[in-house]
Amino acid sequence: MGHKTYGAATSAGALAFGLVLGFGAPAAAQDDGFTLGMMVGGNPCCEWMKSQGDVARALAEARGWNYMELSNNNDPATALRNAQILVQEGADAAIQFNGQPSSNPAIAQVMNAAGVPIVTYDIAQEGMYFVGIDNLGAGIAGGEGLGALVRDEWDCNPDLVVSAEGAAAGIVNEWRTGGMRTGLRNICPEIPDERWVSFESQGDAAVGLPAARDLLAAHPEAVRIAVVGLNDGGVLSLIQAAEQLGRADEVMGWGQDGAFITGDNVNPALKGSVFYFLESYAVNAIRDVIEPIAAGDAPPVRWEAGDPASQVQGCPVTAEEPATVPDMEERVRLLLEAPAGTTAYDLFCPNR
Amino acid sequence: MALAPTIDGKDAVGPRWPGLGAWGPALALVAVWLVLIAATGLYRPDFLSHQTLLAVTFTMSIVGVLAVAQALVAISGGFLDLSQPSGLILSGLVTVRLAEAGMPMPVLILGALATGAAWGLVNATIIVLAKLNPVIVTLATNFIGLAALFLLFQLAQVPRGTAIHEFGRTSLLGLPAIWWPMAALILVAGFFLPRTRVGRRAIAVGGNRQAARARGISLPRTRIAIFTLSGALVGLASVLFVASSGPFNPGSANFLQLNVIASVILAGVSLAGGRGNLWLLFPSVGFLSTIPTTLVFFGLASDWQLIFQGFILVFAVAFDGYRARRAP
Repeated sequence: MGHKTYGAATSAGALAFGLVLGFGAPAAAQDDGFTLGMMVGGNPCCEWMKSQGDVARALAEARGWNYMELSNNNDPATALRNAQILVQEGADAAIQFNGQPSSNPAIAQVMNAAGVPIVTYDIAQEGMYFVGIDNLGAGIAGGEGLGALVRDEWDCNPDLVVSAEGAAAGIVNEWRTGGMRTGLRNICPEIPDERWVSFESQGDAAVGLPAARDLLAAHPEAVRIAVVGLNDGGVLSLIQAAEQLGRADEVMGWGQDGAFITGDNVNPALKGSVFYFLESYAVNAIRDVIEPIAAGDAPPVRWEAGDPASQVQGCPVTAEEPATVPDMEERVRLLLEAPAGTTAYDLFCPNR
Repeated sequence: MALAPTIDGKDAVGPRWPGLGAWGPALALVAVWLVLIAATGLYRPDFLSHQTLLAVTFTMSIVGVLAVAQALVAISGGFLDLSQPSGLILSGLVTVRLAEAGMPMPVLILGALATGAAWGLVNATIIVLAKLNPVIVTLATNFIGLAALFLLFQLAQVPRGTAIHEFGRTSLLGLPAIWWPMAALILVAGFFLPRTRVGRRAIAVGGNRQAARARGISLPRTRIAIFTLSGALVGLASVLFVASSGPFNPGSANFLQLNVIASVILAGVSLAGGRGNLWLLFPSVGFLSTIPTTLVFFGLASDWQLIFQGFILVFAVAFDGYRARRAP
């Protein structure tokens, strides 16, 4: 099998170019051999979006495949254009992280018509192999983690349960925040309905802050406040708002994605989170979908989130536990040194 | 207090309303703001609380400083500086790195001001040397800046427990500590703009470029001075931003842009240049910062604020255009 990968510098340049101009372009014409196309998210928010591409590239290179990487620039139209480019350039299979799911049906149509199998992360789409976290399960696990604290510390009697939403994430937001509310109710079923409120955090600690302050101002009597959310950033926006309004003494939050639960700058009111180890998704995708396809033994297209082609395991942790989890850069390094098929969950989850 | 004229002898502070003089728009704006507060207070008496005051004034702080910077650009004929989000994040990143290095607060502030000023100087240099439209240039530099910042970092925040972190969470005289620099800036800048040489030159250049040139005022020098000063103020806003916002990413300041521009237009600052009273930014920013809080008290989702702000922006721009057409 031919062995050619596109240069890192060239691809990085293409990625940056794509970020600026809103589209991606493959770095070079394809060579003989199996070619994996990767469409990264391209949202400037997150270190893991770049890491997803880095890991996919390393795993493809290790298998002697050609590798093309494009940035979806967090934009549905760009994602669709990138899918068309991968088809034109002769990709044999593709992986995408699409933070904007509205173009998923069109992408599936393009790839299916061209006979190019495609894996999608976290947002299910008919016609695409689904690889991802069980968002609802991760939400319930996080909610139950927070519920245990609410039961132990406040006898299941919080004044307010706040959900930090991120509506742009669509069904993922509903699964995670809904799952967390369900998990909390599993532990504390008697919390009255009127104490459950929500605000739009946009999943960003800084952006969600004004709306979080407004919500707290509208509930001036609430002292014991439990916070769940789409991600750590959203939960943190409410915690910080409480700090600014002088009401952070009895706030407990539990996030999702583990973005702000590691390191030496963790907010003490963030009591826990759920690691997804997003940088590790390519291990599942390549092990369970792409490798069989490259070997001529394509698996059936299991596209539903409830019956995925490969399930990524969530890793709920309390604030004390992540100290044993390395930072993203170190995790990627150790992941690529591990035996083939080993996931970040296998390596780093304290509660596995 | 009398309001000063420009060097052309024209009214530099905005439109006059019959019977109210130059203070008419200010009184109208304050009246609308008070009606909004009173209506919400009648519907929900707990709206009139210290918690609401804190929520609104926190929101005002960063927007207010950015609005002064934006208004200076508009008054001087630069229309709008669309690169404020990137300038703010770049200055904020420098502030965070200095804080992480253990530098004292004055060094952090100087670092942010210098970075912001340098950002403004880059914009001004491109505009002046290439003789390009400031809106196009700042739109482009904001785009470039965002992409470059993405290559530099994904997330940043000041360390917990540092002076700047506490600054973003403490109160002074019952109001957020970060609110006072904004209030002082509007007061001082509003006083000095029509009363200093550089201020009058900025107004003159914005009002009538040919007349200003005939009087020996250098358009390039004035533009460089205003954009650099405006950039420094964006640097000041970045100090308030990193102090209060916690973790941020390169795109975290984008949401401020609409509110800032709406505040400037609602304050009666002419986008055509040459007119504007910076003191009016206070009720303008206050009014727009109160709207999202009132929406929550009325039981509406915070997303509605964008709809309201959009309508207010359309109304303000239409009014600005109407005023410009009627101007002699």
